[in-house]
Amino acid sequence: MIDYKKIGFKCGLEIHNRLDTKTKLFCNCKPRFSEKQPILIIKRKLRPVAGELGQVDVAAMYEYLRDRTFFYNCYNEETCLICIDEEPPRVINKEVLEIALQITKMLKADIPNEIHIMRKIVIDGSNVCSFQRTAVVGLNGVLGTSLGKVGITNICLEEESAGIVKQDGDEITYRLDRLGIPLIEIGTAPDIKNPEHAKEVAEKLGMIVRSTGKSQRGIGVTRQDVNVSIKGGKRVEIKGVQELDMLPQLIDNEIKRQQEIIKKAERENSFLPIQNMATTRIAKEDGTTKYTRPLPGGERLYPETDLAPIIIDKKLLSKIRIPETWEQKAKRFSKFLPKEMVNQIIKSEYLEMFEKLHKKYDPLLVASTLTSTTVYLRRSGIDVDVSEEQFDELFSCVKKKEVSKEAIPEILEIMSKEKILVKDAIEETGLKVLSENQLREIVRKILRKHKDLVEKERFSPLMGLVMKEVRGRIAGNMVAKVLKEEMKK
Amino acid sequence: MLENYSKQVNRLLKNIKIGDRVLVKKGKKNYEGFLMPRADTGDKDSIVIKLDSGYNIGVKYERGMKIKKLKRAPKKTVEVEYKKIKFDPNKPRVAMVTTGGTIASRVDYRTGGVHALEKPEELLANIPELKDIAYLKDVSSPLKKMSEDIDYKDWQKIAKEVAKQVNKNKGVIVTHGTDTMHFTSAALSFMLKNLYKPVVIVGSQRSPDRGSSDSFMNLICAVRIATSNIGEVGICMHGSTDDHYCYFMRGTKVRKMHTTRRDAFRSINEMPLARIFPDGKTDILNKRYKKRDDSKGVVADIKFEPKVALLKVYPNSDPEILNFFIKKGYRGFVIEGTGMGHVPTSAKKSWIPPIKKITKDGIPVVIAPQTIYGRINPRVYTNLRILFNETKAIPGEDMLPETAYVKLGWVLGHTKNLEKVRELMLTNIAGEIAERSEIDAFLV
Repeated sequence: MIDYKKIGFKCGLEIHNRLDTKTKLFCNCKPRFSEKQPILIIKRKLRPVAGELGQVDVAAMYEYLRDRTFFYNCYNEETCLICIDEEPPRVINKEVLEIALQITKMLKADIPNEIHIMRKIVIDGSNVCSFQRTAVVGLNGVLGTSLGKVGITNICLEEESAGIVKQDGDEITYRLDRLGIPLIEIGTAPDIKNPEHAKEVAEKLGMIVRSTGKSQRGIGVTRQDVNVSIKGGKRVEIKGVQELDMLPQLIDNEIKRQQEIIKKAERENSFLPIQNMATTRIAKEDGTTKYTRPLPGGERLYPETDLAPIIIDKKLLSKIRIPETWEQKAKRFSKFLPKEMVNQIIKSEYLEMFEKLHKKYDPLLVASTLTSTTVYLRRSGIDVDVSEEQFDELFSCVKKKEVSKEAIPEILEIMSKEKILVKDAIEETGLKVLSENQLREIVRKILRKHKDLVEKERFSPLMGLVMKEVRGRIAGNMVAKVLKEEMKK
Repeated sequence: MLENYSKQVNRLLKNIKIGDRVLVKKGKKNYEGFLMPRADTGDKDSIVIKLDSGYNIGVKYERGMKIKKLKRAPKKTVEVEYKKIKFDPNKPRVAMVTTGGTIASRVDYRTGGVHALEKPEELLANIPELKDIAYLKDVSSPLKKMSEDIDYKDWQKIAKEVAKQVNKNKGVIVTHGTDTMHFTSAALSFMLKNLYKPVVIVGSQRSPDRGSSDSFMNLICAVRIATSNIGEVGICMHGSTDDHYCYFMRGTKVRKMHTTRRDAFRSINEMPLARIFPDGKTDILNKRYKKRDDSKGVVADIKFEPKVALLKVYPNSDPEILNFFIKKGYRGFVIEGTGMGHVPTSAKKSWIPPIKKITKDGIPVVIAPQTIYGRINPRVYTNLRILFNETKAIPGEDMLPETAYVKLGWVLGHTKNLEKVRELMLTNIAGEIAERSEIDAFLV
């Protein structure tokens, strides 16, 4: 075990979470991925603008950008002239602003009297304009954790960058459907005590964003950047951690990496290895990191002159309601769910679905279906791809006794594999619930076949034989009842 | 007094300058950072502070609030690197005339403010490849205006300056705001008499404060055209939304056709003269251009009659507006007619009688197409025959309304004789009237 205090472990997090809103942050495009082919591919160049990068050598930046050509895939409903830098931005999306202020309130942070939208210089082509619009909406907040308070240095509202499609030498292709999706960024102070604590903090911040009910779900919607340093080393930023479970391992790996560099420096009696330590790294899938081009911080920001500052007055603030926190939610759920399941459902991607469905159906069944059943199916390699409406339909069939709850895993499996509706899946699997008469028919058939067992009154083997035939189509206690009755005849 | 800050904030900021590092104490809260200037938007009562994270926030004035200067502003932002790069005197000599658009400007990244460039070398900081194309020595700035504010006197100033520079250089580029760029290009086309060198007007739709600005490629292509064999006035801007090539379009046959797109400027009723790629590759798209002749000297012929009105008819339009201008002493009219050149004729508010009266009084009325594309036809319909035969309106051929307007002002600057005016308006002087209506010239 590493004594994190002793090695001078310092760690802060920055989490980014895409928001699920009606439109993008500064235009009225749909904030979603397009499944269609691009309607247009445009070609652009970028160049450094003298002075904007502060101490960074403009000449070097020019060389870097000179030969690069960026291609952008444009989509019908997800890209407009604003997205391709052919029209100035519209005023900020009010819905997003309100969500950001909700989060700011939940983290007890100060909200500036006036929010100024800034341009953050980005030269990798992932923003068509060469900058990302961003604004700080909260300062000096606090998050309660199992190891004490963790300071929140800032809460920012930003536009998501474009997603990279391919890089072919100096030609880089991006897709613009993702560009401009609202993103909330929360940065913590270096108050994190150990790698597991980092995971807890990230989880809790994620919950806060999710409690607004406006967090996007799915792969890549949440990303963490981690700052790690130990005594004698340097502060290193690891960007783009997507898997929360990977966080502790990644931090431990970074500590080891830094410790080795420090040892090397001691061995060689030189500061050089530490001086040369790259300060920005990208998280790889295997829990290690790789070097990426560093950029200075504050110097990257300058005012967005196309947009007026947003005045935050009392009237606007009074309209912002704090949503139910996850603690409050857990308390409410524990009234009808066992503790273990409460935790599972709260962390689950199906939380919003559960909120809607548990009022109509047996909460325990809904919760276990949405957690253990889906997890079980995923582990056996099935990508559960079922919409809220379809889950609703499935539970409704169970409620109406058209299908037994035991059949749920198999129905979900078929639905996901064959991309069909609940009704068709039930039909296809033959998992439609049996009527008592149908069951009686089957039981009689089996009893006729196994007269010897009937004579010896061997209930269990007979029950086994019947269940083999009818599993998932009728409840077990009904089978037992009918079997007993028929055996007496 | 710090601009755009309220009186009470200014009182609080006494002895504090923009850029100073300050500590703002407001109740229990402290804000530390650099004092920033206020734009003309937002709350004048909020003090803009740049935090160490780089973000700006506004801290609203409150009674009892305190602000302390921690450190004076650093003297000047780091000297730009342009000093290291020099133009090569062996390259073709090109002059730059700036008029004040955002294209020839620089951003102060500390404040976000935009400043006009003063030295040609400053351009090189952003576009070092210019040094391999031309020797940009003469930079003059006859005016600094947003293009919506530019008037005929400014055209005259620009024409005089350009004429002076043309005779000293291989070519001239004129940086200009985009809104009325096509008016200026038309004005220069008529005013630069005996021109046989390229005069290239260039602007940008996305200001150069962003790495994605169209200004860089526009300028590169403009300087290339300025060294080319085309001896005409034209506009050089993006040909498509890609950073791929620019079009060089004749000064009298070009119009801003979109509010914001970088390819907003389109050649109307003819093909662009050329397609220019930033690497210098040039495709001539329209063979009817005047060739360079360095032996000829240009003269600025800048006489202009400003009392010309550009009007538009539309359903329910009231011709009484003509009397308003007549009373104001106007000497000429360009009316944008509907379709092939109609004005309301048998309508309740017919424009025919007043136009008839005006032309009878010796004041020219030119009809130009409000369809933008196409040519005025004075014959095919009865109402057209009434307008052009009975009232003696002048059919503006395939001239753009804006070009017809500038031309009429220029013609009236030289003669008020109606028959002479009619003759000149129907004569092609600077490529403004195409002899043939070419099939491929629509929506290019």
